[in-house]
Amino acid sequence: MKIENLIGSVGGDLKDELVEELLHRSRRKIDRALKRIRRPEAAVGIVKSPLGDLLVATSARGVALAHYLHDDSDLTVTIAKLRSDFDPVDDQRAVAEVGNEVRRYLAGDLEALRQNIDLTLVGHSFQKRVLGKLQAVPRGAVISYQALAAASGAPNGARAVGNALHSNPVPIYVPCHRVISSDGRIGGYGGGVARKIQLLRSEGFDLDNSQGRIPDNIVWGHKGTKIYCRRSCRTTAHVDRTRIFFFADPKQARRAGMRPCKICRPG
Amino acid sequence: MAHKKLHVPLPFETIMQRHEREIMRYLLRVLSDPEDAADLFQETWLRAYRAYPRLEPESDVRPWLYATASNLCRNRARDGARRSRVIVLDTEESTAANAIGRHHGSLHENEGYAAVHIREMISVLPTKQRQALHLRYFAGLDYAEMATAMDCTEESARANVSQAMKKLKARW
Repeated sequence: MKIENLIGSVGGDLKDELVEELLHRSRRKIDRALKRIRRPEAAVGIVKSPLGDLLVATSARGVALAHYLHDDSDLTVTIAKLRSDFDPVDDQRAVAEVGNEVRRYLAGDLEALRQNIDLTLVGHSFQKRVLGKLQAVPRGAVISYQALAAASGAPNGARAVGNALHSNPVPIYVPCHRVISSDGRIGGYGGGVARKIQLLRSEGFDLDNSQGRIPDNIVWGHKGTKIYCRRSCRTTAHVDRTRIFFFADPKQARRAGMRPCKICRPG
Repeated sequence: MAHKKLHVPLPFETIMQRHEREIMRYLLRVLSDPEDAADLFQETWLRAYRAYPRLEPESDVRPWLYATASNLCRNRARDGARRSRVIVLDTEESTAANAIGRHHGSLHENEGYAAVHIREMISVLPTKQRQALHLRYFAGLDYAEMATAMDCTEESARANVSQAMKKLKARW
């Protein structure tokens, strides 16, 4: 008898009943053990939007990922990152609604975006804090990196805020496009500045692509005094810049519960 | 932009359903004891689940699963050897005669003397050669798959099998 055949016979003829019985027993134990280490499921799909293709993931808790797609390698890397916290399931239908929401939002529907956001993919506690504070910035307003840093408990951490926003897993939903430089320049954006301008325009800012600055007719409002002023107001020179918001127009400021300044009378 | 294709890796359940039988069979043949096999079977899947996010979506799951199972077998053999060395001086490198006495598990009732003898000869092979032989003849992997499973080149997988066969034939 050839030795190869003999090796093949090692273990005897494995009886199917034995294999099935062991499988049956093991499956139950595995299921129990897996339950404890299970990653939550997330529906994943690519949706089209006016802002380009988005890789979207939604979990039971809400939107977990809305990633601007650049190219295929980007897609692979993002899926790989997603997998460390979620078990992705290809489900185009479940995520399609996100595309509709973004479309409606850009068309001016204030209530279009859902409120449920899953911040599981936010790695760092500082980033969590920054994104949490950012969610309080309403549509029609922008905040500076500096002010957001101060609000997040790091008054000198404007750059760190920039980094935290750059890796925001759920842009649009967590409005990182509403953060600009404190000198009025638009600043950067993870999905490209063009998208940031597009989003801010849809929120009422009168922006010109070429300028790269927010327009002069906007007003700023102070978080503490609840007063809003023109940018040309003489109080602008000595205001605490970490405590102000910018609003697209006086109406937005009033909606945020502020009153006009009596010196510059912004209207 | 428009024709991007989404490659979401298969759900882990699907992978389990597809491969659980062959992994169980493999473990049953490598280990002499069905209880050990069931034990490592669970361990294999739990480990695989934890490591699954790190597996490249395009790579082949089958050799990867065998690698997990086979590494666990190797660890078990090593720890077993360490344990038994304290009690009796009987390790994986024990003599054939010893081993025949030891192997009386239910699996071996139908095994002929020759098969038991072969199993014993395999168990004294160096780890890599033994692993290669198991993957080749118990799991039926081809050399490319073995290379993935053993984290080596195809040539070295082939060489390990052939070295092992040479030794077995010499001692037969």
